Amino acid sequence: MNQVGAVGLIAALVFAVYGMITGAAAGKLRSPRMLKSAQRAVLGFFAMTTLAVVSLEYLVLTNNFHSAYVAEYSSRALPVLYKIPVLWAGQQGSLLFWTWLLSIYVAAAVLLNRKKNRQLMPYIIAISMGVGTFFSMVTFSVANPFNELNLASASGVTPYAPPDGNGLNPALQFHSMVAHPPMLYLGYVGMAIPFAFAMSALMTRQLGDNWIRVTRRWVMVPWMFLGIGIVLGGQWAYHVLGWGGYWAWDPVENASLLPWLAGTAFLHSVMIQEKRGMLKVWNMVLVILTFFLSIFGTFLTRSGIISSVHAFAKSDIGPWFSVFLAIIAAFSLTVLFLRLDFLKSENRLDSIASRESGFLFNNWILLAAVLAVLWGTIFPVISKAIENVTVTVGPPFFNKVMIPIGLLLLFLTGAGPMLAWRKTSFQSIKRNFTFPLIFAAVVGGVIFYAGVHRLYTWMSLFLCAFVAASIVAEFYKGARTRMKSSKENFFAALYNLTMRNTRRYGGYVVHFGIVLLFVGFAGQAFRYETQGLMGPGDLLRAKNYLFRCEGISTGQKANYQYETVDLSVTKDGHALTVMHPERRFYMAEQQPISHIALRSNLAQDLYVVTEGTDPNSGKAIIHVIINPLVQWVWIGGMVILLGTILALIPSSIERQMGKLHKDQEEAVAAHHVG
Amino acid sequence: MELGIAILLVIGLAVFTITPLLAPEGSAEDALPIDVTPLTDLKRRRMVVYENLKDLEFEYEAGKVAKDDYQSLRENHLAEAAQLMLASQEQEEITENDLLIEKQVAERRAQRKSKRPDPFVCPECEFENPLSVKYCGNCGKELPQRSRKK
Repeated sequence: MNQVGAVGLIAALVFAVYGMITGAAAGKLRSPRMLKSAQRAVLGFFAMTTLAVVSLEYLVLTNNFHSAYVAEYSSRALPVLYKIPVLWAGQQGSLLFWTWLLSIYVAAAVLLNRKKNRQLMPYIIAISMGVGTFFSMVTFSVANPFNELNLASASGVTPYAPPDGNGLNPALQFHSMVAHPPMLYLGYVGMAIPFAFAMSALMTRQLGDNWIRVTRRWVMVPWMFLGIGIVLGGQWAYHVLGWGGYWAWDPVENASLLPWLAGTAFLHSVMIQEKRGMLKVWNMVLVILTFFLSIFGTFLTRSGIISSVHAFAKSDIGPWFSVFLAIIAAFSLTVLFLRLDFLKSENRLDSIASRESGFLFNNWILLAAVLAVLWGTIFPVISKAIENVTVTVGPPFFNKVMIPIGLLLLFLTGAGPMLAWRKTSFQSIKRNFTFPLIFAAVVGGVIFYAGVHRLYTWMSLFLCAFVAASIVAEFYKGARTRMKSSKENFFAALYNLTMRNTRRYGGYVVHFGIVLLFVGFAGQAFRYETQGLMGPGDLLRAKNYLFRCEGISTGQKANYQYETVDLSVTKDGHALTVMHPERRFYMAEQQPISHIALRSNLAQDLYVVTEGTDPNSGKAIIHVIINPLVQWVWIGGMVILLGTILALIPSSIERQMGKLHKDQEEAVAAHHVG
Repeated sequence: MELGIAILLVIGLAVFTITPLLAPEGSAEDALPIDVTPLTDLKRRRMVVYENLKDLEFEYEAGKVAKDDYQSLRENHLAEAAQLMLASQEQEEITENDLLIEKQVAERRAQRKSKRPDPFVCPECEFENPLSVKYCGNCGKELPQRSRKK
């Protein structure tokens, strides 16, 4: 199967190169025959990368340790569920996985546009297959997962298969880790398609609002996956790393946040172009930036140039990626520059107090966030280059910069939608802002009275109340208006209101999810932790909780040994629960890892970790963290996901436009026949 | 065995990919159809303005927009819509004229063809003989057998 995989990989590379050249030729010569051939090359590329992926999974599932990759990242005792992620556990496999996901996206783009956007398609194929060429080339030449293990001796080279493999990193043997990398990768990879659309629109000079309307969905889907990936990554960190947090401003975490922020900016500014024909150059820049940051993110994750908790790979793919990033930047900016004349704005900004300027501020702040995170992330590399000393900027830098930026964004989340397009008079502002501000002031007063005195925490909760009230008011006012005009009951009006403009109301739901996230973030200010050595019968107090060690048990499972501490917990003197934090030692990998015990409710999490045995006393080292409001982060993530799905449902204007297109196609077809 | 199947699959896909290039010229339409015609683009833009107008009215009814703002914004939108409507009417006329011209050209071509059936044309001097004759009325050369029939 190693050879089958290798054949798939080589053939994928050939199909990618062929698709790139034929696509470009089809665009230049406007040849339908060449376009058809290029489209088929995309399907060939998809089939061949699928063959390679299936071959690698087959090698993993059948414990074929003659394969160097399987011997490195899998083992016999590894449960089947965790054999699937072996595909992306290592450098070689993850690059293959990246290439495969790209092939799925491009094949989907080709199939969904069989009869549409026929002028754009040739260059879309050429560009995306260009990206495919790069990834299959890197996979094939520097990170080939189909290398075999051989023994060289005096009598020649003989095939070698060790009796067992090294196994999968225990930290990755966790349920959300099965889904986290694919989601993140679906996010990164997917950004190649909007980039291809943008470049194709530039190259064909088709810069009306068609490309931007088509592209919005192609940004939204990877943006959604990226968001899911980030939240799942946070869950993984929270449950596995054992320090009681979900975000540490680690370079690889930042790498996933960067394209998400740029994509968020695009999803907002795209509305100004659709509604008002403005910011055309800016939107191009954002699409390019989002894709660039996606590749940069993959590069950071995979090259190991910056040390991180995700230090999975130190490798020689760095130069390849550097060259590729330079090509992307040079190519896209040149094409953009050559077409600047076609990207003139159709309207001007009428007033500072308008929806447009709200979006514009939001874009600037998101861009500032991108720059701040980027600066902090690559600072070690810059400092090394300039002063030959690697200086790492940690969470204090990011928190100092990003908390005010985050709060400003939160404010705009509420304020922006309350401004009217073009201009908003003071009277309108007064009318819309009064209720949310009063509500926020009441909440602000209550939480201050309840003891929230830290400025940022108080502001965060105050703004959360302001934004939540503004969203509720939007839904309420809209539903009331519909009730009057359409004689519907409140719930029918609410439903129809949402479905008529899924994009706007889906957006509000996403905003509400952001509010919940910030509620969760604010909870971090009240985090409490304590630590103690515990043997049977020992007690540990954490605020109003009392922990008692009931015993320590040890044992062995298929792939790990464990030591479990049984802790009974009482709250204010009343028995509450029994918790079982565990320390595991994975045998194949020779690595220990803590398995936390968690008791969650909407108010707070009780988070208990055992960090092994103290060598002097022989007692368990128990670490207790009381983490308020953490659940709201996960709930917020879910709400954002729901809102995004809602916004993906075509709204009435999109359906009308779809019909218009169909009519046009029929007219064109009839004209051809006639 | 598996390797053989994989290689066969690759060959099959390669043939599948290259086949469209081998098809004879003109078997498909001879150029890629346009994605959005100027007329559709104008219609779409008008649709957006109508949608903006509807939104504005809804927001006014919901009490989000003050009366003065509503009136001036509404006028702006209506002016924009009128401008776009004018542009689409012009474009529609252009499209109609284009179609008319194309139709006339096609008719004339057809007429010329019917006027000038091949059998009467001299292969030597390309003179159109009005009747089926044995010798060309212009150059006197003998017309081929097939040309004289009909």
